[in-house]
Amino acid sequence: MAEKDLAPELTLERVNVAPAQTWNRLRTNDITLTVPAPGRKGDVYFSLPRLFEGVECGMGRAVTDWVESQAKGARYVEVPRGERREEAVVVTVGAGDVADTGVMVRAGAEVTIVVAAGAGEKDGEAGTSASLVRVIAEAGARVHLHEYVSVGTDQQHLESVGISAARDARVDVHQYLLGGGTVALGFACDLAGERARVDLGCRYHAAGAEVLDINEVVRQRGRKTRSELSYNGVLEDAAHKGLRTTIDLVHGAKGAQGNEAETVLVLGDDVVNKTLPTILCDEDDVAGNHGATIGSVSPEQLAFLASRGLSRADAEQLFVQALYEDALMHAPCPEARAVVNDSIGDRPLLNHESDDSKGVCPQLNHSEEA
Amino acid sequence: MSTQLLNVSSLSAGTEDKPILHGVDLAVGAGECHVLMGPNGAGKSTLGHVIMGDPAYRVTSGRIEFDGADITELSADKRSLAGIFLSYQAPVEVPGVPLYSFLRSICQMRPELKTTARKFRERVGAIADQLELDQGFLMRELNVGFSGGEKKKIEMLQLLLLQPKLAILDETDSGLDVDALGIVSRGIQAYREQVGGALIVITHNTRILERLEVDRTHVMVHGRMMAEGPADLIADIDAHGFERFEKCEDCDGCPKAGDAQ
Amino acid sequence: MSEERRRTQVADVDRSLYDFTKSEEGYERYDDGLTPEIVRAISEKKDEPEWMLDMRLRALELYHAREMAPNWGPSIDGLDLDHISTYVSPRTKQAKSWDDVPADIKDTFERLGIPEAERESLAGVGAQYDSEIVYHNMREEVAEQGVIYTTIEDALHDPTWEPVVHEYFGTLIPPTDHKFAALHYAVWSGGSFVYVPAGVTLPYPLQSYFRLNAAGAGQFEHTLIIVEPGADLHFIEGCSAPKYYEANLHAGAVELFVKDGARLRYSTIENWSKNMYNLNTKRATIGADAKMEWVSGSFGSHVSYLYPTTIMAGDRGTCEFTGITFAGATQDLDTGCKVIMNGADTTASVSTKSISKDGGVNTFRSSVVIGRHADRARCSVSCQSLMLDDISRSDTIPAMDVHNATAQVGHEATIGRISDDTVLYLMSRGCSEAEARTLVVNGFANPVSKELPMEYAVEMNNLIKLEMEGAIG
Repeated sequence: MAEKDLAPELTLERVNVAPAQTWNRLRTNDITLTVPAPGRKGDVYFSLPRLFEGVECGMGRAVTDWVESQAKGARYVEVPRGERREEAVVVTVGAGDVADTGVMVRAGAEVTIVVAAGAGEKDGEAGTSASLVRVIAEAGARVHLHEYVSVGTDQQHLESVGISAARDARVDVHQYLLGGGTVALGFACDLAGERARVDLGCRYHAAGAEVLDINEVVRQRGRKTRSELSYNGVLEDAAHKGLRTTIDLVHGAKGAQGNEAETVLVLGDDVVNKTLPTILCDEDDVAGNHGATIGSVSPEQLAFLASRGLSRADAEQLFVQALYEDALMHAPCPEARAVVNDSIGDRPLLNHESDDSKGVCPQLNHSEEA
Repeated sequence: MSTQLLNVSSLSAGTEDKPILHGVDLAVGAGECHVLMGPNGAGKSTLGHVIMGDPAYRVTSGRIEFDGADITELSADKRSLAGIFLSYQAPVEVPGVPLYSFLRSICQMRPELKTTARKFRERVGAIADQLELDQGFLMRELNVGFSGGEKKKIEMLQLLLLQPKLAILDETDSGLDVDALGIVSRGIQAYREQVGGALIVITHNTRILERLEVDRTHVMVHGRMMAEGPADLIADIDAHGFERFEKCEDCDGCPKAGDAQ
Repeated sequence: MSEERRRTQVADVDRSLYDFTKSEEGYERYDDGLTPEIVRAISEKKDEPEWMLDMRLRALELYHAREMAPNWGPSIDGLDLDHISTYVSPRTKQAKSWDDVPADIKDTFERLGIPEAERESLAGVGAQYDSEIVYHNMREEVAEQGVIYTTIEDALHDPTWEPVVHEYFGTLIPPTDHKFAALHYAVWSGGSFVYVPAGVTLPYPLQSYFRLNAAGAGQFEHTLIIVEPGADLHFIEGCSAPKYYEANLHAGAVELFVKDGARLRYSTIENWSKNMYNLNTKRATIGADAKMEWVSGSFGSHVSYLYPTTIMAGDRGTCEFTGITFAGATQDLDTGCKVIMNGADTTASVSTKSISKDGGVNTFRSSVVIGRHADRARCSVSCQSLMLDDISRSDTIPAMDVHNATAQVGHEATIGRISDDTVLYLMSRGCSEAEARTLVVNGFANPVSKELPMEYAVEMNNLIKLEMEGAIG
């Protein structure tokens, strides 16, 4: 944080909080962030329809209020009933940008939303960016949300999402969190209607002294709702990660199922890896499951990879590599791809610089590496 | 002349949102052996579960009598104590409950089977040997981690132990290799010989019937009884399949799903 | 065996084996509330060394200064310390023979089966009634090996042991730990001091039983156990109380020191009455190659905060935690455990089960902290929750905090109910629905009950049966 900068600041105390907390001394319940808060007196800016105020957002009310106070104007998108919107709703944020987006997906409509944070930023540039996306998915709507985040090592990014899903709505979420000085992401999804479903895949990578703080909450209120949450990350050096996930099986959600799984690969000696996977259950006719594995590359895996000619370091980078390739492969638009490519640019270690012949280049050539 | 043991009359039943059985009649005399055949999805297993009293199915009309009493409204446990046994197609796993103590408790709740711990152990041991079931299995948890064949043998073990008046075998032969099939067949034979109980064998495979003396054969298609005949019917079906029953010659139009009433 | 049957019958007829009270007449009961005067009076009665009184007074100040975290689990608003007596004592001396214990107190423990268990399967017994130990005895052959099993009060009066108590007491759970730890140190009374010399293996367990008979009172016993290198001990703790309509409080502390290569198994069956606030703190520190085993059954109390903690300080230590919590009507039980792994090649496994019914609330809360130097530490946490109806609640809040790249941590949790298929399968073999459910619940609890000493396993199965019978019909 640049101390010389006398711009007004605001401290967001204990945000990104999970619904149920644990011992405070574990310092895993929340994060406190300092953000710029220049006065906006006299400006006229446009807010979203009131309806969106009822949508719970992952980072919490304080962050929503701050984003609303800082965004240059809210962007409202409506996808008409039954329509499939071809063009993705793309939110790009660079250093200093704050975006406030609301998407109304009418019954039976379909939309792709992309948040691309951090493309084109230069290292050494300090600043805070933020994106708030709220989505109301009516009955039978389909929402594809892609979040690509990679900001500079001196920057922080706040990413807060809230989705309300009605009967038979289906939401799929693809999160690629590829680093940044401080990245805080909150995601909340309210499966309010019967058979609403969310499938969420989150892949993350943090290295150096980066801080990654994630809080994800799925409220399962409707009968037969379903949530499938999967997390897969790699932590290097002295990266610091906190992941809180909550599956809330609310009374009345008969036949609901919630599953959550996390796999973390820890490659650095100074990594701090905190996980709080919570299941709240107020209903008997439900099934809630959670599983987590935290560890390094197993000896069996290492032996196998060695037999194919990879050293330990190579093997470890293979996993990092895979993550970035996956991000590129699934990038839905050029803006998202740009975030990944910029991020790779930051990390030359990905390209075995000493050995070009291996051709381990994370571009979109999917040839299996030797 | 055998006395009537089971009498199912004009039985219609189904799940909450789907009728499955339509006016089914089935009469089984004490000690008789009946075979219930039919293509997949005909409702054979459903009939077995409805006779057992599975609350997943609702009886919409008709009645079930067993041993002279109307059992249509009776819960499954009461039916079991009255002498009905259903061998499950897929026996359910019950973690934490050792097989042996389960067997002991289901026997102790039947006055006619109550016995001392020592005699019980001997009896279970003898039956396990007969079924070539390793006695080490008795200490394991009920159905947990057993292979398909082992689970079926454990069902046979319970059949021989409980000595029911009527046993319904729901595709007990499915998924068994030749050796296991032989052992299960012998188990069924032992039940016939030692207990003299009646049998309803649900199957679409005739191999398991080779060793059995069958009294009657029933053919079920689309939830209706389409034919009934002597044991010879099996050979006929073996040769020609179910097709001719599916045509349902003299019914007034095939029932569409949903118009059970 | 015949005793077992009798017990079952008593239990089946009179819903609670534990629910009987004895008159408090003639007891010494200190005023309700908390003042330095009360603390001084307790200390004076016990004729304590100066350092202990100082510690009590400091703790009292801490207690008044500390706040409870606002975001913590079940509410303890129903607990009003101004109306709880912190010291109630029967007017009797500690006895070495049951014949010297007053008749009504002796009758209480006989009904709980303690003297019988002592004759059959224990190496020593301590029995606490309200604030004081009324009976303490150990087999001679065990004493001859140099094992000490006594009250902390007696150890403080023994010039050999006073320095040992001084060295260890309050170091593992400091009064600053949390508000109720501070309260504990201000008014603690009773409990046990156990010392097992190096290399000594006890053939039978030692058992302490805590009975809170008085209404509107607190029990604050302190258990201090030191297991020297290579020694081996199984310690059993039982607790119960009759039901009242005013709040009772239990804020005990258990400090366990398990040295290099030693093993300690600590088993608890807790069946406090449903007006009890059970805010108990238990902590163990274990050395290299040492083994700590916790077996914990929580059935009673209105509100519980209970998270036995194991600090794995040495290399190659192992820790096993096996627990079950059963929350019925009006119960809000926040239980779990904490494991702090600091040694290399340490192994910890946590397996817990919870059952919720009749509106009961279960919260499983755990934390696994793997320190920087815990190379190759391995930890697995498994938590299964069974919901018996749709008005109950079960939350699972497991935290993992890993600071070492070579550590392996696994966690799994499942929540669900008894499937209809399972019930029907069992009914088709002749079990009634209630029997079928009891069978499944007992099966669910089985991995825990088989870890308990025989008489407790029987007791636990009876408890579950009782609870289940109440649930159906």
